[in-house]
Amino acid sequence: MSQSLKQPNRLKEGGRIDRARRLSFTYNGKTYQGHAGDTLASALLANGVDVVNRSFKYSRPRGIVAAGAEEPNALVQLGSNEAAQVPNVRATQQALFDGLVARSTNGWPNVQRDAMSLVGKLGGRFMPPGFYYKTFMAPASMWMTYEKFIRKGAGLGRSPMERDPDSYDHLNQHCDLLVIGAGPAGLAAALTAARAGARVILCDEQEELGGSLLDSRELLDDRPAAQWAEQAVAELAECANVTLLPRTTANGYHDHHFVTLHERRTEHLGETAPTVDGVRSTRSRMHRVRAGQVLLATGAHERPLVYAGNDVPGNLVAGAVSTYIRRYGVVPGNRLVLSVSNDHAYRAALDWDEAGREVVAIVDARRHPDGELVEQARARGIRIIEGSAVIEAKGDKRVSGARVATIDAEAFTVTGQAETLACDTIASSGGYSPVIHLASHTGARPTWNEEILGFVPSLVKGVHAAGSARGVHDLAGGLADGMAKAREALTALGRSADAIELPRADVIREGQACALYQVPHEKPTLRAPKQFVDLQNDVTAAAIELATREGFESIEHVKRYTAMGFGTDQGKLGNINGMAIAARCLGKSIPEVGTTVFRPNYTPVTFGAIVGRHCRDLFDPERYTALHQWHVEHGAEFEDVGQWKRPWYFPRTVDGKKESMDEAVARECLAVREKVGILDASTLGKIDIQGPDAREFLGRIYTNKWAKLAPGRARYGLMCKDDGMLMDDGTTSCLAENHFLMTTTTGGAAGVMEWLELWHQTEWPELDVTFTSVTDQWATMTVTGPEARKLLGEITDIDLDRDAFKFMDWREGKVADVPARVFRISFTGELAYEINVQANYAMHVWKTLFEHGEKYGLTPYGTETMHVLRAEKGFIIAGQDTDGSVTPEDLGMQWAIGYDKPNSWVGKRALSRPDTRRTDRKQLVGLRPKDPSVVLEEGAQIVFDPDHAIPMPMVGHVTSSYYSPTLKSGFALAVVKGGHQRMGETVYLPMVDGKTHAAEIVGTIFVDPKGERQNV
Amino acid sequence: MSEQTATWYNLYDARPQVEVPAESPLAWSYHHSGRPAVGEKSRVVLRERDMAGHLILRGGAIVLDEAVRQVLGFGLPGRPNTLTRDESGERSVQWLSPDEWLVIVPGGEEFALEKRLREALGDAHTAIVNVSGGQTLIELSGEKARELLMKSTPYDVHPEAFPVGKGVTTVFAKANLILRRPTEERWELVLRRSFADYLYRWILDAGAEYAIGVEG
Repeated sequence: MSQSLKQPNRLKEGGRIDRARRLSFTYNGKTYQGHAGDTLASALLANGVDVVNRSFKYSRPRGIVAAGAEEPNALVQLGSNEAAQVPNVRATQQALFDGLVARSTNGWPNVQRDAMSLVGKLGGRFMPPGFYYKTFMAPASMWMTYEKFIRKGAGLGRSPMERDPDSYDHLNQHCDLLVIGAGPAGLAAALTAARAGARVILCDEQEELGGSLLDSRELLDDRPAAQWAEQAVAELAECANVTLLPRTTANGYHDHHFVTLHERRTEHLGETAPTVDGVRSTRSRMHRVRAGQVLLATGAHERPLVYAGNDVPGNLVAGAVSTYIRRYGVVPGNRLVLSVSNDHAYRAALDWDEAGREVVAIVDARRHPDGELVEQARARGIRIIEGSAVIEAKGDKRVSGARVATIDAEAFTVTGQAETLACDTIASSGGYSPVIHLASHTGARPTWNEEILGFVPSLVKGVHAAGSARGVHDLAGGLADGMAKAREALTALGRSADAIELPRADVIREGQACALYQVPHEKPTLRAPKQFVDLQNDVTAAAIELATREGFESIEHVKRYTAMGFGTDQGKLGNINGMAIAARCLGKSIPEVGTTVFRPNYTPVTFGAIVGRHCRDLFDPERYTALHQWHVEHGAEFEDVGQWKRPWYFPRTVDGKKESMDEAVARECLAVREKVGILDASTLGKIDIQGPDAREFLGRIYTNKWAKLAPGRARYGLMCKDDGMLMDDGTTSCLAENHFLMTTTTGGAAGVMEWLELWHQTEWPELDVTFTSVTDQWATMTVTGPEARKLLGEITDIDLDRDAFKFMDWREGKVADVPARVFRISFTGELAYEINVQANYAMHVWKTLFEHGEKYGLTPYGTETMHVLRAEKGFIIAGQDTDGSVTPEDLGMQWAIGYDKPNSWVGKRALSRPDTRRTDRKQLVGLRPKDPSVVLEEGAQIVFDPDHAIPMPMVGHVTSSYYSPTLKSGFALAVVKGGHQRMGETVYLPMVDGKTHAAEIVGTIFVDPKGERQNV
Repeated sequence: MSEQTATWYNLYDARPQVEVPAESPLAWSYHHSGRPAVGEKSRVVLRERDMAGHLILRGGAIVLDEAVRQVLGFGLPGRPNTLTRDESGERSVQWLSPDEWLVIVPGGEEFALEKRLREALGDAHTAIVNVSGGQTLIELSGEKARELLMKSTPYDVHPEAFPVGKGVTTVFAKANLILRRPTEERWELVLRRSFADYLYRWILDAGAEYAIGVEG
């Protein structure tokens, strides 16, 4: 591994870095040195690293262009090991730490020697916009193959293949005022609101709060502006009502002032979070902020000019040059040519000059620039070339010269002879675009402001913009604007804030900027060397012009055709230039062309921060019954039913061999049919219903009759939606005259509860009745099988005599000393007792049953056995045998429909529609495969004629299918068109593997059709 | 309870008369996830007040307020999302919805309370539902308790927005619970039994960086 200890571009002094702290880092396998306070980008520039990536489409060498979130090229892959891999990190936003390991995301085998660049060189002509669509779409079947190679070639980093050792979380925040951006406007706003006692959150994406003040040449109260920023931050840090969040990017502005902030808590310390006191810190945190008002002080992005060769390493935006010099003590070259359309950018030349390097020339597109900064440059003897621009950068892996010519911006022509200036750096500035991304997330379209030559945000209620974010670019104005907007925001909340004393800033007189986006070239755009608009997506001015020629006139279509502003870039650097070019080509103005929509996230957010703690075993709630521990200890396999974990089956280990599911289920089934089994049925939904109108309510919500159900009795009920389709079923018991206990399916519990409340609150508020969920209060144990009475009799004081306690009765008493309600309800067709006890005592009762159960062969069974047993009896499961298109009549349950009830009920009217009266509806039947060893596939389609030409008319499908150890045969429930009238007929089930099964339509009850076994 | 109303509701004491092993909804969690010890560095402490009596009351506020006042010596909370307590702090009534309140009393008192309320209510129709087995109450205290809540619930738990005496039903992680603040230093969470383990694991995970300890 090679090493470089020199930092050739590091200035001897200046910057906000800690020169005493040297940090070592590795980039593309080579080790370099930097300082605490550096970003990876500033350290790379200090070390003279020019090429940091290969471009997306043409594979051209690319260097660092900017100093912040708008950087399009310097995307790196971080991580020294597999688990620590992070893709898509902007080197300009990554703080340097000791031992940092980074690679370029693009370029194979490496950025210096890239195999794909050949394509780029042959380039252009072969890869116009829409190239992928046009070339690789035919034949369509090959796209999957092409895509793999294109993506590998393009490369946008990769995700780690190993488990992330870090933890991430969310923090819900609330405040009166959220201030996004801690530059001059943001700090002034936060101070104003903080002093007024409001709850304030101030966030900024950079390592340090202060924004542009940190690299400003200007003075505040006669001191460097950065000092005032430090003082303001110190004051805010002392306020209990203020939350300061540096390294925190506001990524998305959602509805109702809900803003997500991504805080990088330890990314500046190392590639994984450090451990403090044995506790590993949270690496990233998503703040979910619900703000009363939001103030956007997000500043502006400088627009580079679009000229030929503007992507060669050594081309930067002017402001970035100042930032690197003043903030990091790095001067990214030796000989600078600056090409500008405005005064403000002159700072770059002044800073360069002060750093002791050569300013070759300032090329100003204006004929007679005359602002204060221009005068300062003139006074230093810097050559200023007026009415001109850099029309082309020369060089390959680094700028070697700038071709400069006089231009007519309005006529879009080069008017003079080009002169070539030798240089290694070209900085450009075409003006300043307010950062309007977050405001755009609200859906508000920005508006063009001709005075500042930029889009300013349109604001929805409760959102404010201040300072550069709305085009107030001067320092004094930005401070005042921040204060004013904070006061407006608090007034909107019904509070007030006093004006604060702002620091004094000198007013710098700036001349009028001129409108310049794409710089003309001697050749027409389509023939000129590539002029890049969007560096990240490799979109050129020619591509945009071509798109407009091909008829893409809407800027949204141009965007999609060219990929301008796509992906992680979101058009920060290039969008406005692209729109200006589209406008020129279409002969329209920029506001007529409009903008595309900026979308969240502003910069990429790691999945960890999005997911927070909702991962691994906390991904989704797991609901347990009171008997969960017993199930675990007895080796249960679990099945997810909704969020519940229910025992699926209890495999035994015999002679060191664990039973398969089929073996376990067969054993469990036979135990219930021949001896006694026990099921944890606690997950069934249970609703306590009280009130004088409870009975009337039940009559209206269920299809069957409830008027005469006496205390001590239970009844099965069907619930329909208002369309007449079955929604849920279960038994409801009359506990007392005005008191009922309803049960629902496990998965349907919450939905049924809402359903009851909905009808009560919106349709029948006159009924005096209330509903309370008691699902968690009662644990339910089903003891079922021929031996159930004997077993239960040993531990209860309830009279279990068959005449005293009949089928569909319930009784109160003690079971294992615990007060219990016992219901004679059967879902197996066998003698069954459902024991309900307060859940805290359930484990005791369950264990006591097992203490007494061994001699009866008591066998625990799970949901799979429950399914087989109930299907053998033709008992449906709502949601399995029904799918929202099945009426009670389709199920053959006419006996549970009370058409003659005095009041109407939910679903009644729908059941008299012609469609629900059809006789050829799909109806529930039993199926017996002709070959008893066949277990039909659930979901298999049914046909009447297997020899029918494809497509065969499908007449139904299998809803439930199992092997019955009792019948020693497969059997199924199915819906078949007109099935109730087709008993004994044969139907066919053509399978994917080419086989066709034959089955006979039979009744739905396979075992004990007369129901004698449950009535013993 | 009058003779006429005796048949209206099934009055039922779910608590055994003899000593029987009982398990709180967190029994499995303690067994499976453990109870980190409370130490000097614990900036959040969790304590369960298990086996308490929990009743849900549903009915008209005016009649119910009178009955509760008569039986418990203090009335229903007068405002939504608040709770009232007796002097010892062991008995509380919390507003849950316009016709719904949660009463929490020391374990064993709930059935006597239900009976006395029925008597006091006469023939007024009010639902009283014992849910003592279906939920449990945990307390969170310590300097980082509020921050732990911020990780977990979108509800604003800032003292300005959540003063002492407030109580709400809200989202917590991906479940629901009742969150209340009976005193300056203490938060109370009422968890549903089936979600208790998930919520316990969530709280331990979120509290790890504060060296959360579990008392008892």
